Amino acid sequence: MATHPASAPRSRAERTHRLRTDLAGWLWVSPWLIGCTVFLIAPIAMSLYYSFTEYPLLEKAVWIGTDNYKNLIHDADFWLTLKNTGMYVLWSIPLCTVLSVGLAALLNRAKYRSFFQAAIFLPTLVPLAASAIIFMWLFNGEYGLINRALSLIGIEGPPWLLSRHWAMPAVVLIGIWGIGQSVVLYVAALQDVPEQLYEAADLDGMGPLRKFWNVTLPMISPVVLFNIITMSIGAFQVFVIPYILFDRVKGGPDKVAYFYTHYLYDNAFIFNKMGYASAMAWVQLLIVLAFTGMLFALSKKYVFYRGG
Amino acid sequence: MTPAVPLTTIARRTAIGSLAAAGLGFVLFGPRGGKERNDGRLVLDYWEKWTGLEGRAMQKVVEEFNNSQSRIFVRYFSTNAIDQKTQIAIAGGNPPDIVGLWNYNVPAYAESGAIIPLSEIECKPEHKIRLERYANAMQPVMQFKGKTWAVINTGSCIALYYNKAHFRAAGLDPEKPPRTIREMDEANHRLTIVEPDGTVRRAGFLHMEPGWWSFIWGHHFGGYLYDEKTDTSVYGSPENVAAFEWLGSYANRFGKGDELPNADPTLNKNLRASSLTEIEKFRSSFGNYDSSLNAFLSGKISMVVQGPWLANVINAHKKDVEYGVTPFPVLDHLYDADNPIGLIDTDILVIPRGVKHPEACMEFIAFTQQQRTVEFLSTVHCKNSPLIDMTPQFIANHPNKGVAVHAKIADSSRGFRCPVTRTWLQFKDLSDANMQQVWTQKAPPAQLLATMQKRMQTILDEAQSARIRRTA
Repeated sequence: MATHPASAPRSRAERTHRLRTDLAGWLWVSPWLIGCTVFLIAPIAMSLYYSFTEYPLLEKAVWIGTDNYKNLIHDADFWLTLKNTGMYVLWSIPLCTVLSVGLAALLNRAKYRSFFQAAIFLPTLVPLAASAIIFMWLFNGEYGLINRALSLIGIEGPPWLLSRHWAMPAVVLIGIWGIGQSVVLYVAALQDVPEQLYEAADLDGMGPLRKFWNVTLPMISPVVLFNIITMSIGAFQVFVIPYILFDRVKGGPDKVAYFYTHYLYDNAFIFNKMGYASAMAWVQLLIVLAFTGMLFALSKKYVFYRGG
Repeated sequence: MTPAVPLTTIARRTAIGSLAAAGLGFVLFGPRGGKERNDGRLVLDYWEKWTGLEGRAMQKVVEEFNNSQSRIFVRYFSTNAIDQKTQIAIAGGNPPDIVGLWNYNVPAYAESGAIIPLSEIECKPEHKIRLERYANAMQPVMQFKGKTWAVINTGSCIALYYNKAHFRAAGLDPEKPPRTIREMDEANHRLTIVEPDGTVRRAGFLHMEPGWWSFIWGHHFGGYLYDEKTDTSVYGSPENVAAFEWLGSYANRFGKGDELPNADPTLNKNLRASSLTEIEKFRSSFGNYDSSLNAFLSGKISMVVQGPWLANVINAHKKDVEYGVTPFPVLDHLYDADNPIGLIDTDILVIPRGVKHPEACMEFIAFTQQQRTVEFLSTVHCKNSPLIDMTPQFIANHPNKGVAVHAKIADSSRGFRCPVTRTWLQFKDLSDANMQQVWTQKAPPAQLLATMQKRMQTILDEAQSARIRRTA
């Protein structure tokens, strides 16, 4: 019986050579491995441990079992911020998705597409803190440009950031500022839709809206799914804009814009409850995982992948 | 066929070479544990929160100290989010030598053993802290559970600022500011201007502007928030409820008219045409604090609760504002001209646990507490002096012409500070939320305060349980 060369016993020289190759490989990736372990895996593991402790940062952590998780159930601000964040996700994701798909569809066949694409993408490069300051003024009840524009069409704008009814819509509207990245992805996806599908749709006598609904949307649905997932993860962690926007009154009037990550931050660094904040972080992870899982489950029905 | 590239040899050499170079670089240029200068002077790191004008003044004090002797060299680091960074530095075992925090930090830091009691540091007698040098209401700020943990870097007291020109125009005597809540209500009634369509043009006083001290109102009604001896929240006390009912009445009057018994019916008849939305719209027109669009500077409000530093903002942006200063009004029976009630709000210096040379830190701290240094810093920062003794020049040259009012509050036996508990920031968070809810009339103040009291007590009980757990 012939012996396959691969299964033949290796010579000492071959083994040494292989060992050296492996070692070189490990050496090359070692900075990343060390960095990843020290700055990512270890903190994640530590935060899991701290979530079962009472840890005021200035003192050592004391094991308290699942008390932090139990306390979350009775914490009014936990539920308030969870509700506010849920509302934000429910409003901002559909709004941003519809707008970005719509804009991408308009840009797809537009003249000077690259220019408009760049113009829409540009705001995402502005630091969030700077954007927040700009929006503070845009939403100013008296001098803000948004209310000025509304007054031109006879609408008296509300005191956005000081009104418990309008603070949340203001934060949702600010979220539109960052749709540039999604628009770029959607435009790329739209460019990828085969032309013959539209030709076939023309032959079937479809109008532009039906073509969009029956051809375009199914063809870009994987990109829609990707964008919804990434935007949702971002929306669940909304922090910087409302943090700066409502610097004078935390969380806005009656805390209607007090979000989960802000409350987590407060617990960790303002109230010195690092253990509690760690438990909140893990609950947040589970919520995001569950939401993403739900999206994937829905995608089986609504997302169309070319090639099956 | 492509010739084999001797990848392993290159990769190994390059990898080892790169790593060795990185290691060498770390050894040569990496962080140093020791802090000694070439001239043999001991180096102390001092973290402080101030930037800009205030930061430069403190930097000058540090330079003066460095020039005053040749043994110690203090390095000044202007640090934002200083309390958070200090906590992390202490927890990580690498704290700065001296830190500038706020007085409300003392209970949490002291109870955790994160700072050293200054009264227990072995140092030269001339560097010891002498409490009797400080104004009456300033002394407790430095202490916690019978020990001195901090010194006051700059101290300030909160008072009522009013626009004299507005007073004059409204027929009020600018030299007789309101002393009691009743007088303040009357002044507010005269000073508020509402247009026939309900648009608010000027507010006499708004509790929500700037809204930094949601917890002070009850003190001016004879109440307080927290009983330190029993570790109990008394937020829902009748005095506090009365204070918040008063606060709510200021929001309530818009859309309903003024309910003052002796109110002049010819004034503010437009209040009924207004609404809470109108007043919120009016509030949203207020600009940044440190700008000419500041509500008080721009004349949108006539009276504001503020610290002495407001004069610096006025001098920088709108010098022509004719302001007066008076202790914040109180209920009639609480009025005592010689013993005003007011909040004490201070910046403090502490020494973190684990520093190697606390006695050297004390030398620097003692330098900052010299009357000359305190007065220099207080003048530039536009604050009152925390010390009892003040030179006539300090008062005469101070940028705030009403600094004597603040000094009086500082030396009053009724000057108060925020509740002395490590859970204060959680307390404050609830108190802020409560003020908002009273203002937006979410529920009657008595009901809101009772709920908040319960929540505050839960926080206190949790902290107590944690204490017991740690002791066990």
